[in-house]
Amino acid sequence: MFDPRESLSVTQDGDRLFAKAQQDGVETVWERHEAQQPQCGFCDMGLSCRICIMGPCRVDPFGEGPQTGVCGADADIIVARNLCRMIAAGAASHSDHGRDLVEVLAGVADGSAIGYKIRDEAKLRRLAEEYGVATQDKAPLAIAGELAQAMMEDYGMRQKAVKMVARAPEKRREVWKKFGLTPRGIDRETSEMMHRTHMGVDNDWQSLLLQAMRNSLSDGWGGSMIATEVSDILFGVPTPRPTMANAGVLKDDQVNIVVHGHNPVVSEMVSKACQDKALVDLAKAKGAGGINLVGVCCTGNELLMRRGIAMAGNHLMTELILSTGAVDMMIVDYQCIMPSLGKVAASYHTKMVSTSDKAKFPHMAHHEFHPHNAEKKAVEVVRAAVENYVNRGTVLIPMGSQEAVGGFSVEAIVGALGGTPEPLIDAIKAGNIRGAVGIVGCNNPKIKHDYGHVTLTRRLIENDILVVDTGCVAVATAKAGFKVPAAAEMAGPGLKAICHALGIPPVLHMGSCVDNVRILVLVSALADALGVDISDLPVAGSAPEWYSEKAVTIGTYFVASGVTTHLGPMPPITGSMNVVNLLTSGLKDVVGATFAVEPDPEKAAVFLRKTIEDKRKALGLDARSVD
Amino acid sequence: MKQVVVHPKRCVGCMQCMLACATAHSRSQTLFAAVHETPQPKPRIHVGAGRFNEGFPNRCRHCDPAPCQTACLAGAIYRRDSVGTVMVNPDRCINCASCAMACPYGVIRFHEDPLGPAGHAIAVKCDNCSARVAKGQTPACVEICKAGALTYERMDAAMRRKTREVSRSMSTDADQPAIPAGVALLRTVKQTEIALGGS
Repeated sequence: MFDPRESLSVTQDGDRLFAKAQQDGVETVWERHEAQQPQCGFCDMGLSCRICIMGPCRVDPFGEGPQTGVCGADADIIVARNLCRMIAAGAASHSDHGRDLVEVLAGVADGSAIGYKIRDEAKLRRLAEEYGVATQDKAPLAIAGELAQAMMEDYGMRQKAVKMVARAPEKRREVWKKFGLTPRGIDRETSEMMHRTHMGVDNDWQSLLLQAMRNSLSDGWGGSMIATEVSDILFGVPTPRPTMANAGVLKDDQVNIVVHGHNPVVSEMVSKACQDKALVDLAKAKGAGGINLVGVCCTGNELLMRRGIAMAGNHLMTELILSTGAVDMMIVDYQCIMPSLGKVAASYHTKMVSTSDKAKFPHMAHHEFHPHNAEKKAVEVVRAAVENYVNRGTVLIPMGSQEAVGGFSVEAIVGALGGTPEPLIDAIKAGNIRGAVGIVGCNNPKIKHDYGHVTLTRRLIENDILVVDTGCVAVATAKAGFKVPAAAEMAGPGLKAICHALGIPPVLHMGSCVDNVRILVLVSALADALGVDISDLPVAGSAPEWYSEKAVTIGTYFVASGVTTHLGPMPPITGSMNVVNLLTSGLKDVVGATFAVEPDPEKAAVFLRKTIEDKRKALGLDARSVD
Repeated sequence: MKQVVVHPKRCVGCMQCMLACATAHSRSQTLFAAVHETPQPKPRIHVGAGRFNEGFPNRCRHCDPAPCQTACLAGAIYRRDSVGTVMVNPDRCINCASCAMACPYGVIRFHEDPLGPAGHAIAVKCDNCSARVAKGQTPACVEICKAGALTYERMDAAMRRKTREVSRSMSTDADQPAIPAGVALLRTVKQTEIALGGS
């Protein structure tokens, strides 16, 4: 049970700023979570249904009350439909983010996206070739236009498969073909998922869940992958670069602007505006040393990956960052932005700005950014932030910041390995590196803040397992000091030696949550190099503190791609043991991977190590026993 | 005589009993209209969270002797001997809160009530849905509870049922677990989260 006197976070800045928020009378996610207790057991078990208004219905998990909804749907159907709709919502979110990038790409091609440009022509050409766009003797802008059009087709219904499915190993594509999991169109699969879960359509819980997997793949190998790849074309392929993390990245004597959300379309323009000489001069005229742009959440990760811009915190830190009193403006785009933020900011001088036509929030000023006006809008809002500097009250910056290295795109990782994944494969074969785990996902007040991320990461690297991470996890491990080359000292002897030889940390920051697709591309490259399926590789996934619908979709596309995935919190499925058993064991016979749920990261580490050692054994590599 | 019996292990924390209770003690008797009434009716059953965030429907036990009744100097609290229900006479209540101080379970609230005097807060507590029962209905909290956490039955029948349940669980080859697997699974996860410092 929540006790505000107890530590809520494994981070110092988290605990100190929570105390500050309390002192300032600011309500946070933890108090609201407490106020919601007990949370509804029907909903927690997935047994409530609000799909039609013959209902709402719920099924009694104890077996005495109603066992079906008004329509006759039993617990299996209701639980499956609810989970499917979560997956559809997650796929819609990341894929819609991808759509915005495609629109900017099209805008760059026709000259309407002022201020945006092609930053990585080589990647543009590579992508164009994948999409069957002729590139020879063509100017980059012409290619960009045609590529954008081709990607728009991926969102539609004129294709048999989304294009980048071809990136998956052949064996994996055969599995998808066999079970009807090949995603045909990005929006199509989400629409079909919503259709199937309408009353009176698909009432076979297994076939519903198969469609949910196809839907997740339409995101992982479609919408999300487009989001990442087009971001790389427009803003550059990330390369390793130093940065700083935790609330200490806010500066007492500078104008602090925090970007929050997910899409780099807005934050990249804000970043540009922050370097505008006239605005920097204005900041100085107001008595500030300059303009300090930092990020929270994934839009922060996007900037960190490409520009080395500092990272103030992850999901559960977003309110606490405001309670420093040091934030002159927070600029948000979309996803994971708590609607409470405007109210929190009202306790301080902080100005809140929303920017997306699809995401408005209470107590925020709305300045709508579009590709044609983003450059100009960014200058306007940054000016307002600078002018707000003089209104600051008391400031608490709780600690000094922690060094970190980010920017490990697949291209950068392969680059660090000398241009080919071979050295990594050799190290895995030799057993110096036992395997790799992608730790991804969010924060959730149900888990002590960052405890899951930090504990699991520590245990895995200690046991010579390379960790790649994204999203909120990437922020947690950066703050915990795992993302500097010296952190190799915390790794087991095999991993430590490799990290020292390559000068890399044992935990590689692969980007925002949409960038989880980089992990798919990486495991595909490893599988291809070994001539095996992804499900044969000694790799696994984990989301120790997940909370969002997007996270369910990510977990599902990991599993459907052959990566066994651990979840910390339990998804709302325990109302149907059939669904639980399918997801945690039955799927092995379908896609060669399953989910596992374990809130305790110590136990999860043992599970993931076992998973990896079992895969090693099956590949004929040496395997350690795990206790 | 039937009584409301609470089965804490069955409570899933959905709080539907609170909504049904407030509605049953409203003027309009419908949820959608009741939320717009002034004064707003309020629940007389209160779902709280246990150590592991599990639900518990906390309602008046209608104690005998009732500490609230003993503490009520105004004589507003009385017992309906025929049914054993401890009642508050809204016209006698002086809003002194002595009853709440005496109540071991914290189930007495003070507010203006649609069924009490206008413009004047009084002690409000569970009345065992006396109005509904008089019409042959079951108490609202019991009727709405779909998880079996609240039942309306004769105490001797409830005792017999409980004895039978316990006896069956003692059988060596009992194949029915006391708690369904899915419920047990979710509870284990939640207990672990809390034990590890989650809220």
